[in-house]
Amino acid sequence: MVGRIWAIALNTFREAARIRVLYGVLVVVVAANVLAAVLGQLSIHEDVRLAQDIGLAGISIMGSLTAIVLGVMLLYAEIQRRTIHAIVSKPIARWEFVVGKYVGMALVLSVLVGLFAIAMALMLTVDGDGVTMAVVKALVLAWLEVLVVAAIAIFFSSFSTPFLSGIFALAMWTLGRLTPDIEAATHAASPSIGIVARVALEIVPDLNLFAVSGHEVSGELVSVHDMFVSWGYVAEAAAHGIGWIVALVALACVLFERRDFA
Amino acid sequence: MSELAIRVADLKKTYRTPFRRRRVEALRGVTFAVERGQIFGFVGPNGAGKTTTIRTLMGLIRPTGGSATILGHSIRERAARYRVGFLPESPYFYDYLTVGELCDLTGRLFGVAADARRKRADELIERVGLGRARTQSLKKFSKGMLQRAGLAQALMNDPEVVVLDEPMSGLDPIGRKEVRDLILELRARGKTVLFSTHILSDVEALADRVAIIARGSLQSEGTPAELVRRSVLAIEIAVRAPDAAAADALSTAPATRLRFADGELVVSVPPDTDVDAWLARARELGATTLSVAPRHETLEDLFMRQIAGADDSPAAREGRT
Repeated sequence: MVGRIWAIALNTFREAARIRVLYGVLVVVVAANVLAAVLGQLSIHEDVRLAQDIGLAGISIMGSLTAIVLGVMLLYAEIQRRTIHAIVSKPIARWEFVVGKYVGMALVLSVLVGLFAIAMALMLTVDGDGVTMAVVKALVLAWLEVLVVAAIAIFFSSFSTPFLSGIFALAMWTLGRLTPDIEAATHAASPSIGIVARVALEIVPDLNLFAVSGHEVSGELVSVHDMFVSWGYVAEAAAHGIGWIVALVALACVLFERRDFA
Repeated sequence: MSELAIRVADLKKTYRTPFRRRRVEALRGVTFAVERGQIFGFVGPNGAGKTTTIRTLMGLIRPTGGSATILGHSIRERAARYRVGFLPESPYFYDYLTVGELCDLTGRLFGVAADARRKRADELIERVGLGRARTQSLKKFSKGMLQRAGLAQALMNDPEVVVLDEPMSGLDPIGRKEVRDLILELRARGKTVLFSTHILSDVEALADRVAIIARGSLQSEGTPAELVRRSVLAIEIAVRAPDAAAADALSTAPATRLRFADGELVVSVPPDTDVDAWLARARELGATTLSVAPRHETLEDLFMRQIAGADDSPAAREGRT
């Protein structure tokens, strides 16, 4: 089982590594870090803050968008190009195939986030402040968010076209980032809005957990530049993210099991 | 141990068009069996249901009715695919891989150990004639080369049953002969081969048993000798006629002119015709006999007859409405 999943994962990694857009994304993120460093020099005492904010935002946004693109493309492409015929006809369970695709995608995204992080760390080192533990925690959280977004994309891709999957995944990512606002809406005057907001909170992963800098956690304002969350919080967020990843990939497996490859 | 390599019983597949407005019956209760060590030819025109049957056997399509087993295992079980090699129709593979990497990926999915994978891939790549293209990515392969790569990956697990969907498709005459030789070699090694085609000469040359499918229904199944009528359908007579007038005179009933060119007249007469009397009359008109040959039914005749029958069937008429 592990061998088959790993074979699909490695092949997915190899396939994704050939997608030139990924190299474009890498260039954009590195350029954003360089820009942050340059802008930081122009500001007074804000150089490190700018480098950290732009670097982390780049990882979170570009990483999530890349996860959506990869997630909706890689599974669908197998069906559209009929490469899946030569794979599913082998003694591999369909769920092993889906899990293998996810693991391969997660590997690619992890390497990408790793490269983003290295670029950011270099800029922070050039700025003289280096990489603080708060930044490390923020990077881990951003990486977890990217992995959850990849699971969202692969879930939609298991039953829909890339275009629709992309729209759905983008909508879910946006809603996931707006969970504090959705929570506020549960107390809205209109009962119908309250119900919709409560349902949305149940079916949308709370991605705001992974981008807490500048928000309140347990009643206290946390910031990557000052007081940030503890490792305990990171572990809790990781457990939340892993829970969503397992649930979404499992649902994708169930839906994929029912498909015909005619 | 079951003597049947493949058993298909009343296999059905119905697709529903979007919004469930219409049902399309791709398979209407297909039943056949393939014994171990046989070459089984699955014949039908385009859209007959050959590929749907094969994809259902290989777990790509879920049947809506009936059952099928491979080497005694239900096709719903993963175990059914462990000892099966499969070449899809017009195979599409990851074009960034080399043929060696494709074989390696296939071997991994079958759980073949690394050393055995490398050795087997090397043997098969040479066997299918891709030794010189070993380092090229599949993107640069021609259709025929892809077909050969597909055959190599289909044999990576040293399968007991080999299922080939249109294996001669896209191959030049040399490639077709090589694939035919490979299929015969597989049978000689005790393997069972099920292959689909619409090229009847391939079936006549290779198959121990043949099934003809049209409009999702099996029309007939048996050995080529069982299927075609052994009785004489007609007698074809070729004579050299002195002129067009003689050719016209010899083309009257019971004879039917098949062709007349360069003084050579070929006619077909019913099997109960007094051929001696007909030839005597030809000689009187100045013609000389070139050949007299009985014509038996061929697989192509049977195929055309059955396809026409399927098109006129109530089910087919229903499908057209």
